[in-house]
Amino acid sequence: MLHGMYSQLRARVAPALWRKKPLATAFLLGAGLLIPSAQADTSAKTLQSNSNNQQACYVDGLSEQMQCGFILVPENYAKPDGKQIEIHYVVMPAIKPSDKVEALLAIAGGPGQSAIENAQGFDRMLSKVRQTQDVILIDQRGTGQSNQLQCVGDGFDSALAVNESDFDTRVETQKCLDTLDADVTQYGSLNALKDFEAIRQHLGYQKLHLYGVSYGTRMAQLYMRHYPQSLATVTLDGVVPMQQSVLAIGNAIARAFDLLIEDCANNRLCHGQFPQLRSDLEKVDAELTQGPKISQVPDPLTGEMTQLTLTRSKFKGALRMALYSPSTRSLMPHAIHQAAKGNYQPITGLYAMGIDNTGIAMGMHASVVCGEDWQRLTPELRAKTSESYFGKEMLKTFSESCAVWNMPAVDASFSEPIDSAIPTLLLSGELDPATPPSWGELAMEKLSNAKHFIAPYATHGVAYQSCGNDLIAQLVEQGSVAELDAECLNEDIRRNFYLNASTVEAIPSDTTEPKEQTALIK
Amino acid sequence: MSNKIISMIRKELIDAARDKRSVMAGLYYAVGAPLLMCGMFFLLIGQLTSPEDLNIKIGNAQGAPDLVKFLSSRGISQGDSEDTKDIQLVISDNYAANMAKGLSAEVTVIADASDEKLQISIRRLEKSLQEYSGEMGSLRLIARGIDPRVMQPITLNVEDKATPDSKAGMILGLATMTMIYAVFISGMNLAIDTSAGERERNSLALLLSHPVSTWEIVIAKITAVTIFAMVGLVLTLIVSKFAYAFVPWQELGFAVSVNTSFMVMMLIIGAPVAIMAACLQLFVSFMAKSFKEAQSYITIVLMVPMMLAMAASYNIAPETIQWLPVSGQLQALIEFIKGRELPLTQLAVSSAFTLAIALSLAIGMQKSLKSEKIVFGL
Repeated sequence: MLHGMYSQLRARVAPALWRKKPLATAFLLGAGLLIPSAQADTSAKTLQSNSNNQQACYVDGLSEQMQCGFILVPENYAKPDGKQIEIHYVVMPAIKPSDKVEALLAIAGGPGQSAIENAQGFDRMLSKVRQTQDVILIDQRGTGQSNQLQCVGDGFDSALAVNESDFDTRVETQKCLDTLDADVTQYGSLNALKDFEAIRQHLGYQKLHLYGVSYGTRMAQLYMRHYPQSLATVTLDGVVPMQQSVLAIGNAIARAFDLLIEDCANNRLCHGQFPQLRSDLEKVDAELTQGPKISQVPDPLTGEMTQLTLTRSKFKGALRMALYSPSTRSLMPHAIHQAAKGNYQPITGLYAMGIDNTGIAMGMHASVVCGEDWQRLTPELRAKTSESYFGKEMLKTFSESCAVWNMPAVDASFSEPIDSAIPTLLLSGELDPATPPSWGELAMEKLSNAKHFIAPYATHGVAYQSCGNDLIAQLVEQGSVAELDAECLNEDIRRNFYLNASTVEAIPSDTTEPKEQTALIK
Repeated sequence: MSNKIISMIRKELIDAARDKRSVMAGLYYAVGAPLLMCGMFFLLIGQLTSPEDLNIKIGNAQGAPDLVKFLSSRGISQGDSEDTKDIQLVISDNYAANMAKGLSAEVTVIADASDEKLQISIRRLEKSLQEYSGEMGSLRLIARGIDPRVMQPITLNVEDKATPDSKAGMILGLATMTMIYAVFISGMNLAIDTSAGERERNSLALLLSHPVSTWEIVIAKITAVTIFAMVGLVLTLIVSKFAYAFVPWQELGFAVSVNTSFMVMMLIIGAPVAIMAACLQLFVSFMAKSFKEAQSYITIVLMVPMMLAMAASYNIAPETIQWLPVSGQLQALIEFIKGRELPLTQLAVSSAFTLAIALSLAIGMQKSLKSEKIVFGL
């Protein structure tokens, strides 16, 4: 395994710990709006400028005028006169002119995703909130336009052809570190939090409502710990509790795989079509453990013939990423079944989706994980994590890359539960392959004014898939969790599984079909 | 201004205040019009926006259970209650068969697209169907090992120059029109009363017999009527400021707010219009033979500024109207509230035009007050 040194490979091969897949996939699949996350340098096009670095601008996927700007902060807060970096933000103005006292800050996942590149998703999800509140998006330091720590490797012609086991994580990580013009030890969550608070003050809002998704929930919890006076309400969606190292994600992934197989078995159509799903999955897994399958396939994008080296890592990785979004999840039984029959097309398609539209800044990702998660793993936890395939792979990768990255460990108090009375809404998806509901429970430990809702049919990013966004709007409006009701989350929004490469509806028995066909021909 | 004129203005105002009912009738417009507008917009917004839960009729729903489920997750579902919209979605009989073969499955939307109340709901249904189709199309490609991005050779980026204020252009035009119209309505009763009314009560002749010049009388009457018109305008602005804040504009995706700078601008730009309105109404009333006749003439004459104002607010007339009185000022105000640059030349020309008309009407009045025909209504 490697650690994101090769940007084309980073999605599948590097264990991007968790991320807001709905943003990447939901849009890719929604409404024919295919929006691969944009290049950082083009995602906000600026118009005329005005005072204090703020300009009217446009962000990708939204036609409306926004306000963009940046502040300069020291890269190292201990050396205020040292190197300065730009932290970029976008204010999506409230539709009803607000009094500028409060705003909602939406924090992206990853770690390493750019909030600004995902503006369209936030805008759609938070449309009710935006009727009355400004929404602020900040590219956290090391992501997007804020001195992005990205590694672009070389050495491979095609992401499809590479065999990940040939990859030397240590060497590639070192190569990446050498190209970065930054003190990577300064790109952890706590420094980024200071940037956030500086932007709040710069923009002049008295109080913020927070929405954090995935890794963003860690930022939100740190905000609750360090600047409680600046917060009105907090929503944590796909919760990573402070007590939890994200490297424990391996077991969550295994759990999500089991839930998928169970779901299919309980679905009459899916079970009828794929009665042996678990053994199909195990069969392919066993085959690929023996060695990769090499074949010639048309490249998913260019259509040219190219070599596909289907490794276990690609196969499992493609399926894992498909678990993030309900729409790609619905294709999984078909993809697994076809792979068992030797047809790797659906797996190739799923794999290709993640090749270059994930938008994770791997350098920043490493700074956060190596400083905050890697070093706090106890031997017991390490042993437990190694039980699953993904856990083992991740431990191996990070043990090599973190040795190069050399991040100082955060203080032990970092892992203490958040003790707060700020109105807080926690949302977990039962089917979440990254942050299972049990993590949300853990985060509740010392929250005295919080509610934790579990959406039974949602995956990662509950607010994007259910009425969770309405609950956020209600929380922001009322400023209290007292009247929030989880009832609407129970609405059955499950969709059918794909039964072949084309349909989700029951396939009619085609006894009469040939006749009609011949009749037409005549 | 001489003491004589001031005392005459006082006399006019006291006179006006005595006849409370007719004066108040003028001011009712100033208070009532913005409230009525808001009430209308309230109803309009309720009708134009699609309800959160859109109930429609779905034919052959069992033919595509997944599609029906998707629509219901978008708030669109089969309804049998009374609030079901008159939109029908029919799923073809061979939907599942075509879908299974990788072909296009057919669904039909049946609705009357000319029904404004349905338009947004129809568009919402169509958009949801397209979304579903797009999602399935992408997944079909993925299932065949193809990157769905190849389906979209062009990425369309739209950069909309509109600001939240300018999006509300049409409504602001209408709102500004009712506001500026307040200067015509508020002073109208006083104008008739102080000219045709005074003549009918025979107090005009008495006034003329005093040692004051006709100019002084005309100026005093114009000032009194103008003051009333401006009071009406101020009232309208204040009522609008509060009433408009209660309308849920954000549901239409934009904001309408009457802020202080707009109010000040309105008062400055509205002043010449108020003077002209006063002159026009007084002139017409003097020309009429009786109180009643004055009322009917003024109603007809007021059609002209009304037309000009409408032309400006609906943006339907040729460019020339931005140089004309009333419409020129109104257009400048609309530009101002949309946050664009103020067309100063046009504003100056139309304001000068307005004052010139006022002046010539005043001269006409001054001349006519020397004629017995006018003074005694012969």
